[in-house]
Amino acid sequence: MAKKILVVDDEPDIRESVKAVLEKNGFKVVTAINGDDGLAKWKKEKPDLILLDIMMPGTPVREIVPQMKGARIAYLSVVRTSEAEKEDLMASKNVVDFIQKPFDIDELVKRVKKLVK
Amino acid sequence: MDISKELAKNQTMLLLMPGTEYNHIIVDNMKKLKGKNVCYVTLNKTFDSLKELFKKSKVKTDNIVFIDAISKTIKSVPDQGEGVYYVSSPGAMTELSLTIDKFLKHGFDYIIFDSLTNLMVYESKAPVAKFVASLVNKIKAGKTKAVFYALSVKEQNALIEESGMFVDKVLDMDK
Repeated sequence: MAKKILVVDDEPDIRESVKAVLEKNGFKVVTAINGDDGLAKWKKEKPDLILLDIMMPGTPVREIVPQMKGARIAYLSVVRTSEAEKEDLMASKNVVDFIQKPFDIDELVKRVKKLVK
Repeated sequence: MDISKELAKNQTMLLLMPGTEYNHIIVDNMKKLKGKNVCYVTLNKTFDSLKELFKKSKVKTDNIVFIDAISKTIKSVPDQGEGVYYVSSPGAMTELSLTIDKFLKHGFDYIIFDSLTNLMVYESKAPVAKFVASLVNKIKAGKTKAVFYALSVKEQNALIEESGMFVDKVLDMDK
């Protein structure tokens, strides 16, 4: 059965291009336009992995992530953080990866495959 | 390009940069402003990340005060720390504007706004352009010089053109 990925990003271009590439690689993809939408879709869809943009309008991601108990989340970040901050962000039990934007699409697919194995 | 020379002739500038050269240019600019009192407004790198970058690049930060509108979106921080003031988010434009106002009253030599591109994540072109116009007007009332950074990307040509009308000079580092 195809693994399900939830892509949460306020940038339509990113959302749609990541969706297209992941679908081409056999994943089932659901998208959300911000953190609140992502939370609602996560509850409904129960994806195997969430690709979550770290900086979006609306409720801050740091308030959304603790509500997604049991989820597996990979951050997509255009924000540059220090190494220590990255470690802190990764310290949340449900955060499994930190992917810096701009990312190489092949590398992203490789990481997603590894994360949902 | 020597930013200090350009700023000797112009009080306000919009600097357009290619994404690939971004870090290199911001570090280089800070080196050129060595010894000056700078207020650095960051909307895309956390204060800790900037400090790390500047330290690695041997840029002294003693004369720089940071306004960080990113950290509060990803972690819990107080309203201020040593050399830094935290704003809720890049979208909190009123809070951001009030914080910058406070610093303008302190007579900084330069204010660096990094960047307009990130403001567009939160707001549409009209409020961002209005924010820039209002900020430029306040700057013009004093002696502080200002540099606005933006990515030179097609998607934001309209904002760049509009913001470009308010500043004294637009420099495209991609050309």
